[in-house]
Amino acid sequence: MLVSIQNIREIPKKVASTNRQYLAVGIFAMLMLTIPLGAGVYPNTVMVEVGFYSIVTMGLILVMGFAGQISLGHAALFGCGAYVSGILTTQYHFSPWLALFLAAVFTGGVAAIVGRAMFRMHGLILAGVTLALNLVFFHLISSLSDLTGGAMGMMNIPPLSLGGFTSQNLLFNYYLLWIIAILLLMFSLNLANSRVGRALRSLNAYAGGSEDAAQVLGVNIMKYKVWVFVLSAVYASIAGSIYAHYTRIIEPGTFMLQFSALVALMAIIGGRSSPWGAFLGAGLIVGIRQLLQEFIPALVGGPSGSYELIAYGIILVVALLFLPQGLFPIVQKAMPKKKAIMS
Amino acid sequence: MDFSVALQIFLSGLNLGCIYAALGLGFFVIYSVTRVLNLAQGEFVMLGGMLTVSFYTMGIPLFSSILLSVVITALAGAGLYRFIIYPARKSSGMTKVFLTLGCAFIIEGIALRVWGWEFRSLPAFFNTSSIHLWEATIFGQTPWVIGITLLMVIGLFFFFGHTIQGKAMRACADEPLGARMMGISIERMALFSFVLAAGLGAIVGALITPLTMTSYSMGLPLTAKGVLAAFVGGITRVEGVILGGLVYGMIEAITAGVIPGGYHSVIALAILVSVLLYRRRGILLTAGKG
Amino acid sequence: MKVNLAGMKSVAVPKKERRSGAVDAPLLEVRNVSMAFGVLTVLNGVSFSVPVGNILVMIGPNGAGKSTLLKLISGLLPLQEGEVWFRQKRLNRIAPHRIASLGITQLFQDIQLFSNMSVIENVMVGCHLRAKADFMSSGLRLPRARVDEQSVLATAMSQLSLVGLEQKAWANPGSLSWGQQKLVGLARALATGSELLLLDEPYSGLLTVEVDKLNQLILELQRQGITTLIVEHLTDILMGIANQVIVLDHGEKIAEGTPAEVQHNKRVIDAYLGSEQMADEGS
Repeated sequence: MLVSIQNIREIPKKVASTNRQYLAVGIFAMLMLTIPLGAGVYPNTVMVEVGFYSIVTMGLILVMGFAGQISLGHAALFGCGAYVSGILTTQYHFSPWLALFLAAVFTGGVAAIVGRAMFRMHGLILAGVTLALNLVFFHLISSLSDLTGGAMGMMNIPPLSLGGFTSQNLLFNYYLLWIIAILLLMFSLNLANSRVGRALRSLNAYAGGSEDAAQVLGVNIMKYKVWVFVLSAVYASIAGSIYAHYTRIIEPGTFMLQFSALVALMAIIGGRSSPWGAFLGAGLIVGIRQLLQEFIPALVGGPSGSYELIAYGIILVVALLFLPQGLFPIVQKAMPKKKAIMS
Repeated sequence: MDFSVALQIFLSGLNLGCIYAALGLGFFVIYSVTRVLNLAQGEFVMLGGMLTVSFYTMGIPLFSSILLSVVITALAGAGLYRFIIYPARKSSGMTKVFLTLGCAFIIEGIALRVWGWEFRSLPAFFNTSSIHLWEATIFGQTPWVIGITLLMVIGLFFFFGHTIQGKAMRACADEPLGARMMGISIERMALFSFVLAAGLGAIVGALITPLTMTSYSMGLPLTAKGVLAAFVGGITRVEGVILGGLVYGMIEAITAGVIPGGYHSVIALAILVSVLLYRRRGILLTAGKG
Repeated sequence: MKVNLAGMKSVAVPKKERRSGAVDAPLLEVRNVSMAFGVLTVLNGVSFSVPVGNILVMIGPNGAGKSTLLKLISGLLPLQEGEVWFRQKRLNRIAPHRIASLGITQLFQDIQLFSNMSVIENVMVGCHLRAKADFMSSGLRLPRARVDEQSVLATAMSQLSLVGLEQKAWANPGSLSWGQQKLVGLARALATGSELLLLDEPYSGLLTVEVDKLNQLILELQRQGITTLIVEHLTDILMGIANQVIVLDHGEKIAEGTPAEVQHNKRVIDAYLGSEQMADEGS
């Protein structure tokens, strides 16, 4: 049966959609990279925060939104990157850039070992195990106080530097972070539209995939689950390392359950079906936090933190009840396009 | 190791074990009826503690305070089901888990607003500060913990294992179609399970406040530990959850007594996670169709 | 393995070359397989062998263990007792995805299409083993990955054309009728290039015209050298295309032979006496 001419015309459609993705990334990159030059210190600081969250969330979207595995433990991975970078640079005087690389390798390795064991389980029990990972990490860091500074934290972490600029400089951090974020976005988008992306989606029992069907078609489900988890660990570790050099002080309290829950929230609200959702989710949550911190103390009493928590909770509930796919599909529909394929 | 130290560890382990078992039971109740993992369970415990403290400091007698806080928390549980879980009943398991997480955030936020950052505490029930038993010293609260947990455990064990009501509830998750055909209202069973779990959580909260003070943020760590304890034993059976809790408590007590420094928490958790990873469905439900 | 666009006429391309010396040896051998779930014995000492290119139909009343047997062959259930041999190699507790890479795939009774991707992407998952793009090469969009992707898309399109659904390539699986979904599932299974197809009750829910089409497809596949093992409990339709029939009842093989032989076998008639009603109503 020969392929009709009509079909041959349809095949390039897939290539076209990839080109359109790149166009979108390009526009986004131009935006993100030129805005800070005009904006002041405060917005840029906020954008740096969004950058950190976006990178971690992007990895989490690949794990939860594509492969459909619940992970509530990414704070530990983020923290692992931060602490390994911190230890290597303060105690062993490695170059921060080398430390960043080594931290990513280390965190990825830990994720591989834990993942191999973890993914022999299915379903909700993963939520429990990943929650417990947060606790293990927290206690581990607090106990190894010689290495990590314990509960007091680690201080005087040297900054990153490149060509005369250091991470003392806000713009330096901004550009470093966002260039990496955009590169990772491209990587993630490429992955999503590839054989790997399809294999991952076929595993997602929550969204319509089927592990049995995937297996009889030859998909090695264990390998893909572990590898996507390792990838997300590397994303989180990179963000964590940059964070350590940015704030130059890290303490265990930053990397607790709340952080894991928060990035999971961002992944879900932003839209699990696409890496773009990471920016939407992170942007929204950080934006709300800023708004609340600005206005709440003036209007009503009580710590603004409490209103943040309530707001996050309400948004998560509302999003899941009315927009189960998150914000991204809405944005996607608003864009001019010929045909909507899984992006 | 001499007898008094061993006894101390044993009693401490029993104390912790009962707490973890009671925590796990809250997860069990909801999971066995609805297959939902309630990440807000720790918040129910926190609410139980905080509300009891508030009422007690207002002058209300201790047990009435506890009762009041249980009722209010149970109402919160009902609200969680009716307004958040029930509307999403057709959604996936992942969605429901995150809905409970959203609820946990809301409760935590409200708690922070109402009670602030401070830690609150209660005196041990009937003001027994410590008891000397043979050669060990234990907190005065411990007999209460063990006693009430025992009551809960026995009650739930019989209820879910041996009464028609209990079996009907478990059927809701195992065989929903069959349950409906028998005229069982799954929605009412589910609502009841949330109310029961919330109430149990509140009792646990009141029980542990004299031992470890409560604060607005203790919900999530308790949830994490409770889930771990529940899954380690095997979450679909009462005996499994109880066993898991006791094992967790014992391991923590033993490592605290034996291993110097602050490493005991890590080791305990690591052991637990390893048990879980090795016995994927929990100790009592071994691999295979469970 | 690149697919020649011009040669897309012959679409079902088995991945492995058949060894010339092994033409007479059976493709699949099931030896004394038993399976029990707790106290319930589902299969009891079932043995048979399937020559290359056969269409084997396994029939029997519901609960006879047929679906379980398919899952044991494809690896979704672990073997307890007995052996399964494929191309003279023993399949010894191998993971399903590795069994798939050896040349066996399965189409489920409830199809289990991936509803989180389009029809053509479903079929492209079937091509998973034909490509090699992994995380790094896909993420970086290396040329090798791009070429793989193009050829996978082309292969998938051709499979979809084979079942006549190329118009629906970009549709959502949920928008298709049951019969169309079945065909997509078949296309997806064929995309793997497997030599042995395990079809679990493929005819359930199909309209008469769809049943005919499926029969034609299976015969066409036989012409291309693909061996098919079909499990069904509707009997009359299949007798037309089967070379080999096996009858299971309560987990035991009670008859084997050509359709004609089996139809007149007394044990088979007895076994079906109780289920005759169901078999008739089912078609």
